[in-house]
Amino acid sequence: MSANKDSLANTFMVATVLCLVCSLLVSAAAVALKPIKDRNVALDRKNNILKVTGFSDDDIENGGGIEELFAKRFTATIIDLETGEEAIEDCKAALEAAGKKIGENVIDSYDQFWASKSKKEEVATQLEKAEDKIGIKWKEKYSHVFVLKSEDGSSIEKYVFPVRGNGLWSMMQGYFAVEPDFQTVAGITFYDQAETPGLGGEVMNPNWKAKWNGKKIYDVDAVKLKVSKGDQSANDYGVDALSGATITSNGVSYMLEFWLGPKGFKTYIEKQKVAEMPAAKAANNRTGSETGGTRG
Amino acid sequence: MADKSTKDLIMDPVFNNNPIALQILGICSALAVTTKLSTSVTMSVAVIVVTACSSAAVALIRDRIPSSIRIIVQMTIIASLVILVDQVLKAFAFQLSKELSVFVGLIITNCIVMGRAEGFAMKNTVSDSFWDGLGNGLGYSLILLVVGFFRELFGSGTLFGVTVFPKKEIVDGAMTGWYEPNGLMLLSPSAFFIIGIFIWVLRTWKPDQIEEA
Repeated sequence: MSANKDSLANTFMVATVLCLVCSLLVSAAAVALKPIKDRNVALDRKNNILKVTGFSDDDIENGGGIEELFAKRFTATIIDLETGEEAIEDCKAALEAAGKKIGENVIDSYDQFWASKSKKEEVATQLEKAEDKIGIKWKEKYSHVFVLKSEDGSSIEKYVFPVRGNGLWSMMQGYFAVEPDFQTVAGITFYDQAETPGLGGEVMNPNWKAKWNGKKIYDVDAVKLKVSKGDQSANDYGVDALSGATITSNGVSYMLEFWLGPKGFKTYIEKQKVAEMPAAKAANNRTGSETGGTRG
Repeated sequence: MADKSTKDLIMDPVFNNNPIALQILGICSALAVTTKLSTSVTMSVAVIVVTACSSAAVALIRDRIPSSIRIIVQMTIIASLVILVDQVLKAFAFQLSKELSVFVGLIITNCIVMGRAEGFAMKNTVSDSFWDGLGNGLGYSLILLVVGFFRELFGSGTLFGVTVFPKKEIVDGAMTGWYEPNGLMLLSPSAFFIIGIFIWVLRTWKPDQIEEA
């Protein structure tokens, strides 16, 4: 055996057999574990949406787990960013036109990150360099919006928007939650980022994220909320920047400016304000000072 | 080499012939994943599994590997194992795999794994190679854990995410804690210092490891 092991035929034999065995092993593992991995990713996003609206680990456990609590309290939908209207069917049609295979449930299977990456006219629009401070190059036409309903389902408690933008090293992807007045921040979180641990990575620090709650977003119509240097506890529109991470901090500011502005969810927000106005007033009258006083 | 006992095969690389401290191999990943203990532990386990299994696999087919392509054969085996480990982590330890990100994949380029496959497994039996791989993985882990321990403790004031030194910060307008985290500890250079100090201590304890000047 060892006499001819260096022969040309044996070399090819070993290479072929080895490649076959290894590729079989790797692909088998990839295919077998894919459902579990996909479930982990979906679960992780839902977990983040719950966390950004103030649910703690205990709340999630008491509510019957991530899936159940999410299904009970949240309504997920897809909107057209340009018109601000709900556009589940349009989105489905556009995805089909772009040649993307979609699952039974369009809302669950739609991946707006893919839409942006695909660079296909049907599902995304190219951004000018000057307006693309967040570095996504193409903006998807349709986006998820998650609406948190109150326990009995009668009123809306919070809106959650997916946001993302470049930091120093990575595309930071996260969720931004606002109160129904579309002026008060309810929370911010990131589910995917690779900023420098200890510096930019502190965007994940719960203490820093807590500083956002209750801040105000718009001054008239422009996004005034941003990350600035120094103690911002007295400033309604500012959050203390992360020390040693100027680029990450700026990235967060640009991200909010973009996604809360006219290119992002602003059109949707304006539509919602008009639609919710009478309902909100009626709710206020019914329950008196209770709802009015505790928000904010 | 064949007369070494299993215990020696495992324990030798930990203190006497440590891959990082004596052979100075695999430093790169030791810098990257040691800001926290939890990632250090995961990385250690991943490297132990890969070195042990790849050494065993290389030893198993060592008589059939043509010498002209032996490095590529070793690489293929190692790479496949690393992908397997990465997939398993993504499926069963999602949060940790997110934190380790690209570094699990980079085990492929870890010199220790290649070094053991080429230097030991090509000439030894399957079981000896397995134990040797395991031992070297353990030696690597020892350093990772020591570095991770000091970096997390002094860099964040925590161990496994549990607060040990309460951080000095303002909560609700009141000053809490007393520990000012050392930011340098979270950056790569600190791992060099800690590895350096570790080697110093180790060579004071075992003077025969000192190289002649």
